[in-house]
Amino acid sequence: MTGITRRVSSTLELSGVSRFFGQVRALDGLDLKVNPGELVALLGPSGCGKTTALRIVAGLEHASAGNLTVNGVRYNETPAHQRDMGMVFQSYSLFPNLDVTENIEYGLRARKIPARDRSKRVSEMLALVELGSKAKAFPHQLSGGQQQRVALARALAIEPNVLLLDEPLSALDAQVRSQIREEIRRIQIELGITTLFVTHDQEEAMSIADRVGVMNHGKLEQIDTPIELYTNPSSPFVASFVGLANRIPGEVTAAGGVRILNQSISLSRAVSTFAPGTKITAIIRPETLILTSENDPDATRGLIALKSFLGPLTKLGIAVEGSPLIHINISSSDVKHLEIGQHISFKVAASEVMAEHA
Amino acid sequence: MKSGVVETPRKTQGGRLGSQVFPLLPFFAFTGYFLIWPVLAVTLRSLRGNEGEWTFSNYTPLLHGSYLHAFTTSIKLSLITSIIGSLLGALFAYVVVRYASGKFSAVLDSISAVFANSGGVPLAFMFIAAFGTEGLVTRVLKTLGWDIYAGHFTIFSFTGVVMVYSFFQIPLMFLVFKPAISGLRKEWLEASTNLGATQVTYWRRVAIPMLLPSFFGAFFLLFAGGFSAYATARALTVGTVPLVPIIIGTLVDGNVVSDQQNLGDALAVGMIIVAGVAMIGYVWAQKSAAKWRQS
Amino acid sequence: MAAIMKVSPFKWIFIGASAFLSLLIFVFPLFAAATYSFRGEAGKGRSLANYRWLLEQDGFYPNLFASLKLAAIAGILTLLLMVPTMVFLNLKAQRFKPLIDFLCILPLIIPVVSLAIGAQVAMPEVIQNSEYELVFFFVIIALPYTYRAIDTSLQTVQLKTLVEASRSLGASWFATILRVIVPAIRSGILGALFLAFALGIGEYTITSLLHWETFPTWTVVAAQQNILGAIAISVFSFIGAIALLTLISLLSRRGTKRESLESENEGALS
Ligand SMILES: Nc1ncnc2c1ncn2[C@@H]1O[C@H](COP(=O)(O)OP(=O)(O)OP(=O)(O)O)[C@@H](O)[C@H]1O
Ligand SMILES: [Mg+2]
Repeated sequence: MTGITRRVSSTLELSGVSRFFGQVRALDGLDLKVNPGELVALLGPSGCGKTTALRIVAGLEHASAGNLTVNGVRYNETPAHQRDMGMVFQSYSLFPNLDVTENIEYGLRARKIPARDRSKRVSEMLALVELGSKAKAFPHQLSGGQQQRVALARALAIEPNVLLLDEPLSALDAQVRSQIREEIRRIQIELGITTLFVTHDQEEAMSIADRVGVMNHGKLEQIDTPIELYTNPSSPFVASFVGLANRIPGEVTAAGGVRILNQSISLSRAVSTFAPGTKITAIIRPETLILTSENDPDATRGLIALKSFLGPLTKLGIAVEGSPLIHINISSSDVKHLEIGQHISFKVAASEVMAEHA
Repeated sequence: MKSGVVETPRKTQGGRLGSQVFPLLPFFAFTGYFLIWPVLAVTLRSLRGNEGEWTFSNYTPLLHGSYLHAFTTSIKLSLITSIIGSLLGALFAYVVVRYASGKFSAVLDSISAVFANSGGVPLAFMFIAAFGTEGLVTRVLKTLGWDIYAGHFTIFSFTGVVMVYSFFQIPLMFLVFKPAISGLRKEWLEASTNLGATQVTYWRRVAIPMLLPSFFGAFFLLFAGGFSAYATARALTVGTVPLVPIIIGTLVDGNVVSDQQNLGDALAVGMIIVAGVAMIGYVWAQKSAAKWRQS
Repeated sequence: MAAIMKVSPFKWIFIGASAFLSLLIFVFPLFAAATYSFRGEAGKGRSLANYRWLLEQDGFYPNLFASLKLAAIAGILTLLLMVPTMVFLNLKAQRFKPLIDFLCILPLIIPVVSLAIGAQVAMPEVIQNSEYELVFFFVIIALPYTYRAIDTSLQTVQLKTLVEASRSLGASWFATILRVIVPAIRSGILGALFLAFALGIGEYTITSLLHWETFPTWTVVAAQQNILGAIAISVFSFIGAIALLTLISLLSRRGTKRESLESENEGALS
C-alpha cells in the first residue's frame, strides 16, 4: 500500500443515454450501472459508441437524451471541469511543454492545492506508477508505456470519483500492454476506484474487468462477469464477439432444434425461435468440438487442412463440405499422430447451440 | 586499445565527410557566391576610407542626425507593424484553424501568400485606391461620418506606411503562425478540462506556453521583413518618410559621389546588423522551445 | 468538444473580428482597386480605358515578357540547384542539415537592399552587364520558401525506403531520382517552381537597385503618368497570382497530402 487515503467509492449510472450526430445514433438508449470500486470494461466493435459513452460521462460530450448520475445525483449539466473524473486518453495527451511532475500536478494546481501537499501527492503517484526516476523528464523523452503511466498518474492524482480509460493500451506493443494492464488493475483495486474501461480487445476486457459490457450499435447487448459472458452469451452477437467461434451453416428442424454437420442439437433458449426450415448459422466454440470415432452416429468426417501448435493446445483447421474451415482446439498431447491431409471424425459436444439467421 | 576503438570510426567518418560534401558543392558555391560574398564584400568596403585605408569613419554619420533618425524611424515602423501584424495575424490564424473549412482555408492561404510575398508594388497602388483622398474606403467612411483626412493623416505619412505595411505583415504572420496553431491538439484542451482546469488555465499553462516560441520566432521574422521592405514604401511615398532602405535607394539612384558610396555601404551593413539582431531573437525563440519540443 | 465549445462566449467575437479584419485587409483594397481600375477617362462612369491605356504602352509587352522570362529561368534554376541538393541532403548528409537550414533562412534576414549593394560591389562586369544577373538573386531571395516546399514534401515520402526499394530492384541512381523521387515529391517541386516564379515576377527591390527594368519597375514609372493604369496593373497581377496559387494548392491537395502550400506557409518556422 502506498498510504493513499481514499474517499468512499462512487456509483456511476447511465440510464437511457442517447447521443445523435445528425443521422448517426452513436448511442441509442444506453443503460449501465457501475458499482462502487468496480471495474467495468466496455467492449464492442469499432464505431459502436464506446468512446462517445465515455466522453459523455466525462462531460466532453453532451447527451441528446437520458440521465447520468453519480451516487444518485444528476450530473448531466455539471461542467466537465467540475466533474472530478479522471480520464486517460488513447493517445496519452500529456502536455508536451510540462515535465512529468508538472503534468501530474496539473489537476492539483487547478484545485488550488498548496504546494507542499501537491509535491507529496506527486511523489505518491510517481511511486504508484513506478516512475520516480523520471520526475523531471519531458513527455517526448519517455517511452510509450511510460507516457501511458504518467497519464494514469495524472488522472489519479485528482482523486477522481470515477476513472475513465479509453483504449489506454492500444498504442502499446503486446508485452508492455499486458504489463500495464496488470498495473492498472493492481492500482484500481488498491484504490478501490470505480472504473470504466473501454476497449475493443476482448482478451483485454476479459482479463481486467469485474464485469464486461458488450456494446453494439449504441446499446448494451449484455453485461456480465467474464465467465458468464463466455459460457452464457445472451445473443449470437455476444457469442461471436467474445471468444473465438466457428460459424457453421445449418437448418432449423421440425422439432425446433438445429441440424448442423451430421447432428441435431437443441437451440439455446437465449435465441428467439425460428420457423422450421429456416437457414441459420450456428456459433460453435472450438473447445466444444471433440474428436470421435468414425462409427459415432453424430460424427462428421473432414480433412485436416491446418495444424498450428499453440503450446498446451493445438488448433486444427478441418475442411468439411458446405462449411467454412472449422477450427478445433485439442490438447497437444492428443494430436501427435495427426497430420495435415489426414481424414478425421469429430462432433459437437455441447447440449445446445447459439444460432442466427444465415 | 581504447584509442584504437575510437580511431577507426573517426577515420571512416572522415572519408565519408568528403563524399558527403562533394554533391553539396554546387549549393555551397551558389549561396557562397551570390549571398555570402556580396555581404562580405560590402562589409569590407564599408570599412575602407577614400584612400583605401581601414577606418570606421563611414559609420559616424549613422550615429547622429538624419541617418540616425532614419534608423530609428525604420526600427519604429517595423516594430509597430510587426506588433500589429503578429497580434492580428495570430488571431486570424486561430480563427481560421478553429472554424474554417479546408477549402476555404486553402484559398485564404493563397491570398495571404500573394499579399505577403509578391505584394510589393501592387499593394501600394491598391492602398491608394482604397485609402487615398479619392479612395473607396475613404469615401465610404466619409458617408458614415468619419473623415479620415480631417486630421493630419495622409497615406504618404508614417501612419500611412504603417497601414500599408500591415497589409503584408498580417498575412505573413497568418502564414507563418498557422502551422503552430494547427499543432495544438484538441485532446490537450480536453485533458485539461477533465483535470478540472478552466479554459483560462488551459491557455495560461498549456496553449500559450506552447505557442509562444513560434509567436516570437514569427515576430522577429516580421520585424526583419518590415525593416528591410523597400518596394511598397518606395512606390507609395517617393521619399516622404525617411526609411533606411529608401535612403539607400536614393543614394544608389543618384550620381554617386565616392563619399556617398561609402555611406551607402555603411547604411547597408547597418541594416544587416539590425536584421541580424532580429535573427538572434529568432534563434533564441526557437531554442527556448527545444527543451520540450521533439524534433 | 461540443460541450466545451458551448461555454466559450468568445467564439463569435473572434469570428466577427477576423471577418472584419479580412474584409479590411484583403477584400477592401482589392475591391477598391478593381472599381478604380474601371473608371472612365474623366474619372466618370465605367470603362476599360485604363486597361486599354495599359496595352497601348510601349513598355507593356517587352517588360511583361522580360519578367516572365527571368522568372521562368529562376524557377528552373531553383529546381536544378535545389532538388538534387535536397535529395542528397536528406539521404546521405543529414549532418549538413543545420548549416543548409541556416543558409536558406539567411535571405529572410539579410535585407534585399543590402544584398543589392553587395552585388554591385562583388559581382564582376560580365555578370553585372547582363540582365540574367537578376536570375541568380531571384533564386537566392526565393530560397527560404522554395527550400521549405521541397523539404516538407521530402519529409512526407519516406525517401530512404523509396530509394532502397528502387535500388534493390536494379534501378540506377539517375533512374531512381527521375522516375521514383521526382514523381513522389511532385507537389513540393511544383510548389517550389511556382514560388520562385511568383517571386521573380513581382520582384522590385533588387531589380530597381541594380537598374534593370522589368514589369514591376516599369509599373512604378508608368504610375507617374497614369495612376489609374498602375492600379489596373496591380489588380491584374494580384488576381492572376491568387488564381494561380489557389489552383495549384487545390490540385496538389487532391494529389498527395496538402504539402506544397502548407510547406510554404511554414516559411522559416518549425
Ligand atoms: N463528433 C462526431 N461527429 C459525428 N459523428 C460522430 C462524432 N463522434 C462520433 N461519431 C460517430 O458516432 C459513432 C460512435 O463513435 P465512437 O467514437 O463512440 O465509436 P467507438 O466505439 O469508440 O469506436 P472505436 O473502437 O473505433 O474507437 C461512430 O459512427 C462515429 O462515426
Ligand atoms: Mg473510440
